[in-house]
Amino acid sequence: MEVSREIYWNVGHGLWTLFPMYLLTIVSIFVLVSASRKRIRLYQQGLPLHRSDQIGRRVWETFKNVVLQKKVVQATAPGIFHGLFFWCFLFLLVGTALIVAQADFTDLFFGIKFLKGTFYKMFSIILDVTGLVAIIALGLLFLWRYLFRWQGREDHGQYLVMHGLMMAILLTGFVIEGSRMAVTEIGTPLAQWSPVGNLIAQSIAWLDEDGLRLVHKSTWWLHFALVAGFIALIPYTKFRHILTTSSNSFFSDLGLKGKLTSLDLEDEDKETFGANAVKDMTWKDIFDTDACTSCERCQDRCPAYATGKPLSPMKLISQLGEAARNNPEANLIDVLSHDVLWSCTTCRACQEICPASIEHVSKIVELRRSMVLMEGEFPGEEVMAAMEQAEVNGNPFGIGYAGRGDWASELGVPTLAEGSDFDVLYFVGCYSSFDKRNIRVAKSFVELCKAAGVKVGILGKEEKCCGEPMRKMGNEYLYQSLAAENIEKIMSYGVQHIVTTCPHCFNTLNKDYQDLGLTGIEIEHHTVFLEKLLASGKLLIEAAPLSCTYHDSCYLGRHNDIYDAPRAILEKAGVTLVEMDKNRAEGFCCSAGGGRILAEEKLGERMNIKRVEMAAALGREVLVSNCPFCLTMFEDGVKGAEVEDKLRPKDIAEVLVERLC
Amino acid sequence: MKILLVAEYRDGKLLTNSNELIGFAETLGAESAMVLIGGEEVPTYAGKLYLADVTACGECNPDLHKQVILEVIDKEQPDMIAFCHSSYGWDLAPRVAFALKAAQVSEVVAVSDGKLVVPVCNAKLRRTIDCQSSRIVATLQAGAFGLKEPPSGTPDVIKVDVAGSGRTVFRGYEAALGGGVDLSKAAVIVSAGRGIGKADNVGLIVKLAKALGGEYGASRPVVDSEWVPHDRQVGTTGQTVAPKLYVACGISGAIQHLAGMKKSDFIVAINTDRDAPIGEEADVLVVADLLQFVPVLTEKIQAL
Amino acid sequence: MKILVCIKQVPDMESKFKVADSGKWYTTADLAWRMNEYDEYGVEQAVQVKEQIKDADITVLSIGSGQVKETMKKALAMGCDRGIHIQDETAFDKEPYQIAGIIAEYAKDKNFDLIFTGMQSQDRGSAQVGILVGEILDIPSVSTIVEFAYNEGDVDVSRELEGGIKAKMTVKLPAVFTCQLGLNTPRYPTLPNIMKAKKKELLTVAVADLLHVNARLVTEKMFLPEKKAGGVILEGEIAELADRLIAILKEKSTVLA
Repeated sequence: MEVSREIYWNVGHGLWTLFPMYLLTIVSIFVLVSASRKRIRLYQQGLPLHRSDQIGRRVWETFKNVVLQKKVVQATAPGIFHGLFFWCFLFLLVGTALIVAQADFTDLFFGIKFLKGTFYKMFSIILDVTGLVAIIALGLLFLWRYLFRWQGREDHGQYLVMHGLMMAILLTGFVIEGSRMAVTEIGTPLAQWSPVGNLIAQSIAWLDEDGLRLVHKSTWWLHFALVAGFIALIPYTKFRHILTTSSNSFFSDLGLKGKLTSLDLEDEDKETFGANAVKDMTWKDIFDTDACTSCERCQDRCPAYATGKPLSPMKLISQLGEAARNNPEANLIDVLSHDVLWSCTTCRACQEICPASIEHVSKIVELRRSMVLMEGEFPGEEVMAAMEQAEVNGNPFGIGYAGRGDWASELGVPTLAEGSDFDVLYFVGCYSSFDKRNIRVAKSFVELCKAAGVKVGILGKEEKCCGEPMRKMGNEYLYQSLAAENIEKIMSYGVQHIVTTCPHCFNTLNKDYQDLGLTGIEIEHHTVFLEKLLASGKLLIEAAPLSCTYHDSCYLGRHNDIYDAPRAILEKAGVTLVEMDKNRAEGFCCSAGGGRILAEEKLGERMNIKRVEMAAALGREVLVSNCPFCLTMFEDGVKGAEVEDKLRPKDIAEVLVERLC
Repeated sequence: MKILLVAEYRDGKLLTNSNELIGFAETLGAESAMVLIGGEEVPTYAGKLYLADVTACGECNPDLHKQVILEVIDKEQPDMIAFCHSSYGWDLAPRVAFALKAAQVSEVVAVSDGKLVVPVCNAKLRRTIDCQSSRIVATLQAGAFGLKEPPSGTPDVIKVDVAGSGRTVFRGYEAALGGGVDLSKAAVIVSAGRGIGKADNVGLIVKLAKALGGEYGASRPVVDSEWVPHDRQVGTTGQTVAPKLYVACGISGAIQHLAGMKKSDFIVAINTDRDAPIGEEADVLVVADLLQFVPVLTEKIQAL
Repeated sequence: MKILVCIKQVPDMESKFKVADSGKWYTTADLAWRMNEYDEYGVEQAVQVKEQIKDADITVLSIGSGQVKETMKKALAMGCDRGIHIQDETAFDKEPYQIAGIIAEYAKDKNFDLIFTGMQSQDRGSAQVGILVGEILDIPSVSTIVEFAYNEGDVDVSRELEGGIKAKMTVKLPAVFTCQLGLNTPRYPTLPNIMKAKKKELLTVAVADLLHVNARLVTEKMFLPEKKAGGVILEGEIAELADRLIAILKEKSTVLA
């Protein structure tokens, strides 16, 4: 006879078992469904947003993030614990489902049993081992939370219940197995296919059969009740993430990374702009708050949080959820606080690591839009002044616009208005046009282009600020007017190829300008452009050693996933690069993103100094970056950290130009 | 040619800027008389002084002050009436000019071929004025017309009576916030301008001022941003100073500021823009970023 | 209550100025334009009065070519109710007395209770227009105000004097006030108000209808000021610059001696 086991052994398969069992199941599912429906009504308070296009891509994203736990395991230790627990949970769920399928369906109606023979042996050992691994993983998760995630939390009670319940389900499962095996399997060859169960069976074998049967039966019902309780608790506890977080992966933003939605400013009937109440957010914004598992990964990586600003992305999401549930009429800006919203550098570190596909940055910008467009409020007078100066002179410094191209005059770089032939339009940006330090970067870039035989043209005084800092600060109106002027000029000259030395300009021209009509033009950041020139042999350099570290700017890195081109350049330049701990997608913001370049950093520690200290700790001579904002912040930072004589900030173009043949 | 000079008195004190009015009359080589609505104290001035009693007239009473000046004009029949371009002068001059149907030239900085020169666009440009009225009212930029020698003589005082009341009510003075640092007594002043960028950098300026044994000051934008208290503001709306050494850090040189410090013995400007208007007044212009330069300079001075 | 705010569009002072071929004014090429900074305080004060007493109507007036309407739109977006644009292609050439004459001619039969102007314009800097408007209309005027409080027909103001001292004064309306920097914090127009401003009344009147006085002065010549003779310009590496400066100070000044 093929090996197998009797399902419903000892508890029986009669009505006295099935009726209470299925009643309990139905009740728990009813609780789950009705509570979830109430929950859905919360999401319906939000504005519509289409997030069910491209089904195939969405299913694949969901598969990767749920089944493969792709994002979860990015944070190694807790990620792997969660991953293990999740996969074990999945196996146990499938295993249980197979048992129910055979006992109450295939066998009951068709007399088909598939849990037998070799399949049963495999089934048995897999479930036995996954049960053990699940207990270990759960224990580790428990330790992780209560050792490292203890501080500043008020939800310990809930987590204790959740961990306890999971552990109880797993342990009772083993007790059921052990007591059954002690009666039916102990000593048979089959027992070795359930090593954990066998161990338990042996340890309780001193009980007589009645005792074992009593233990088995009572534990079976306890186990069942716990499972039913678990199902009913899903909508009321963070267990809901099983449903919400996986759905959120399906609903994630498939658009261009970091591209904000454009406001329609032509619509004359529109009276509110941005969001200051729950009803102004989209349903997805509210759904995000339920998808959050409070894992703190965002908070751990938030440079504002790390430097003592009042912002915690996790807290922001939970307060938003709290408002959606209990106080939907509240002014969200007051609920979250103005300082919190102004503290964000839109560096995207939170969003990049979030295993729950939560979109933090767009929410913050939407709330800022309300502050700026509806109230005329800014984080400080210096920001308002910069806005006004950009309105008048097209740059936040308020320097006369006519001098924008002056830096290039001695290099003989023509403006497009002069009508000469050009291969690429160099969109210079405000810093490289007016700031003495960054003009050196612009000049280096032009020299490199000349050496490679690339004819560069600029817009000169026809170029305006790309509008990125204004947009991230919430000033959509000013952004759109600056953008419209730039786009008109770029289009009028029939430009085919644009290169920027600023990742903020790059991201804005390449993505945000699409909504305003700038399309069909190749737009590149200088690191990518120069790397191609090097690779194609058009740009010849002589490798020379340099002791340096490299800083991934947020807008080249996380917003555009460009990590390799700059490193390839440095390698070709003969540079030995030592990475900082926080590199690539984990790079630590210089403080100047999100329009914060215009603002004074009044709260907490200096972010730029913190980053410079990370670089200085490596004992390298040069801190290479790829962004005028970063460069400016680091030039300040080396002074603040008092390492000016040890560490020099440089743009990657400056490193290259020193190595021209 | 005859000029009537309008001297100033405020809060119980005679102001010293009448010397500049005398200097202006000298520059023009004109005969002069002076009018003052003040107290007992009279300026050092060899000429006729029409004196109205401030207790009868009240301070900050433009209607009555105008009336006194017009009475004196009636007696003296001057060709020109000169005020300082001060809160007192720029307020009264248009009133007097209107009553006289005279042209008014504001903030005269120089006289060229007998014509008055005034600044335009924050002193970035200048223009000479051609007046088409028989009488001219002028206000003089602070510090534009100094005297080579201190004035001498005792004026020939002629009392002027006043009667009536004005349409505005004066309710007293309010002292400057911050307790009042007297920058005019400092031998060295190091001032911060908009170029310092942010409040935190004020410390650099204070350190340099200390190293030089002086006081620190600021231009108006820095004070308006509340990076430095109001009583340290140098310029026409702050204090007018003339130290032995004035160091302007990141100050481009708005006219209001220049007027308040250009009489300093020696002026050093630190600015990234070599074309900044401050360069016109500076004995030395250091073209550098003050955030880099000032700490190095401070260190080297401390090491002396 | 009827309020008049007079604003001027001026070149941004950061622009590089060049003398025009006529030799009498600066060229307008490559200039950026904005609202005279002092006038922004006037607009803001007018809007604050309206917010305080509710029942008020604010007219903003500006003299110049069609391009000044851009600046007027900002004033309308900040909260002025209607605009009067006095079309004058050669407004730059009008002296303060003529400008005041135009404004007073417009205002004389309108019974404005409050008139605000800037303390001076950033380009001409004459500091005359506001006071002259008061004199022509024969109503009191207070210049260079840094504090303003309206209560029941009376206005308490502070004038800014030298050295941070203020003179506190009270005036009965109607009256003219010229605004100094720091009077208030001019607001940043909100987007709904920018939209509304596009629909507000903005009438254009020809300057000839309002200009009935002759100029009493004209600009004979405009020129760039000479650099101070003997001024030294130091450029180079920071440390070396500091040494050179210290050497000069030791030689030329008694401070380091």
